[in-house]
Amino acid sequence: MSPLELVDDRFEKLAEELRAARPVVPEPLRERVRALSPPPPPRFELSLRRLAPAAGLAGLAAVAGVAVVLGVVHGSSLQHPAKRATGAPSAVEHGTAKATGERKNPTARVQSLRSYGDALAPSSVRLQRYDAFLRVRVRNQNELSSRTREALRLTRKLDGYLVWARYAAPRRTGDSELVLRIPVENVQAAIAGFSSYGTLVQQRIVLKDLQERVDSLTSRIGRLRREIARIEQRLAGPLTPDQRAFLKQRLREDRQRVAALTAQKSSSVRRARLASVALTIVVGAEPAAAKGRFRRTLDDAGSVLVRELEIVLYALLVAGPLLVLGGAAILTGRSVRRRADRRLLERT
Amino acid sequence: MRRLRRISAVKPNAQDFAEAAERHLDDVHAFLVYLTGDRNVAEELTAETFARALERWRRYDPRRGSARTWLCQMARSTALDHFRSEDRRRRREGRYALDVPETGESVFGEGLSPELERALSRLSAAEREVLALRVLLELDGESAARVLGISASACSTRLSRALQKLEQEVSAGVAA
Repeated sequence: MSPLELVDDRFEKLAEELRAARPVVPEPLRERVRALSPPPPPRFELSLRRLAPAAGLAGLAAVAGVAVVLGVVHGSSLQHPAKRATGAPSAVEHGTAKATGERKNPTARVQSLRSYGDALAPSSVRLQRYDAFLRVRVRNQNELSSRTREALRLTRKLDGYLVWARYAAPRRTGDSELVLRIPVENVQAAIAGFSSYGTLVQQRIVLKDLQERVDSLTSRIGRLRREIARIEQRLAGPLTPDQRAFLKQRLREDRQRVAALTAQKSSSVRRARLASVALTIVVGAEPAAAKGRFRRTLDDAGSVLVRELEIVLYALLVAGPLLVLGGAAILTGRSVRRRADRRLLERT
Repeated sequence: MRRLRRISAVKPNAQDFAEAAERHLDDVHAFLVYLTGDRNVAEELTAETFARALERWRRYDPRRGSARTWLCQMARSTALDHFRSEDRRRRREGRYALDVPETGESVFGEGLSPELERALSRLSAAEREVLALRVLLELDGESAARVLGISASACSTRLSRALQKLEQEVSAGVAA
């Protein structure tokens, strides 16, 4: 079937005449084309069609490689959170009263209770404020009750006392909170005892130096006392009535200040002698067994891949409109060029 | 062996090009003669088309179309470059009408009736190119549309209009 039959049969004669008189290639042109020699092959041809899949594969390999490397590094260098929770203390802070959570020394997180207790023994030469926060998990309500009673007994045995307590055991769950004061020389023994009641899931200790404050108070009290002695000496001598009244007023004020500062000092010293221990005992199931290294590596690699995917999606969201605009510009440019070509051919 | 064949099909070599050039030289030349309406220009553009094609032969993918279609696309692109540069030159020189060769020789083929020759020369390049592809080279609608960069239906419409105009011009020439 001729292509023209699809258009109109009446043009067939016209078409035959055109085909019969088809232009013939002159022999010199044929020779010229035959004589064309191929250019030397390029050493390395950068074509977008080849480069795009290669770049895509390289990108995927890089993403997977980063995920695997980070997974291996994280999986082998850090213990699993569940293992950390069942192990020893989760945070150690001292020298400041501001709790900063688990960001401090990561090696301290995995110390054993014994070495941890030794490391944080209260100073024997300086006054310190010692605050401990413990969270211990027990298996059932019976244990919760017995351990709470044991904690109170141990506190009394160590010359401490109970400040505040709360006990709640609805249904199968339950918890008890105890705030205790224990002499600092016995606090390590108390912590060791409390920790053995069940699974220690959280432990935090905050140490704050009080020595400087007590020294400052002592110094101010000494100055005021010297001032009081001087005023008393002047009052014993000859004075005008106004001077006597003024000095008596100052003497009263200084004595009040000394009393207040002495109370503050006594409070600080008392606080330094008694450590504060907040013990929370909870009923709960044992956490799942710690995962193996391979599983941890897989988990970490997976989370890194998810993060990378998030970044890629974010980049696409940001760059998407620009890509759409760029694509639209390219398509418009092509369309404009085609129209221009068409006009050019129509007027040629 | 099968793998080697597949690679050679994807990456054509110089031998393949020589065969394709020999087979399709007449078609490309005829197409360019119709497109330009000038034999000398068509010869130059044919040589240039094959020189370009040889340079880019490694990029030719037989799966995307026949060698003839690919060569015709390249010929059209070469011709458009020529038309653009000619257009710019004419604009610079302040001449807006294209020169029509007044040699008296047959441009579109030996043996054409003078009426048909004149009618063809009165058609635009856009009309002549669709005639060349569909009538002279007998390309199917899809291949012709691919060369022209338009849809198959648009190609069919263009062909119909070009033939009608050609017939009108021939009739007008005979009546005159």
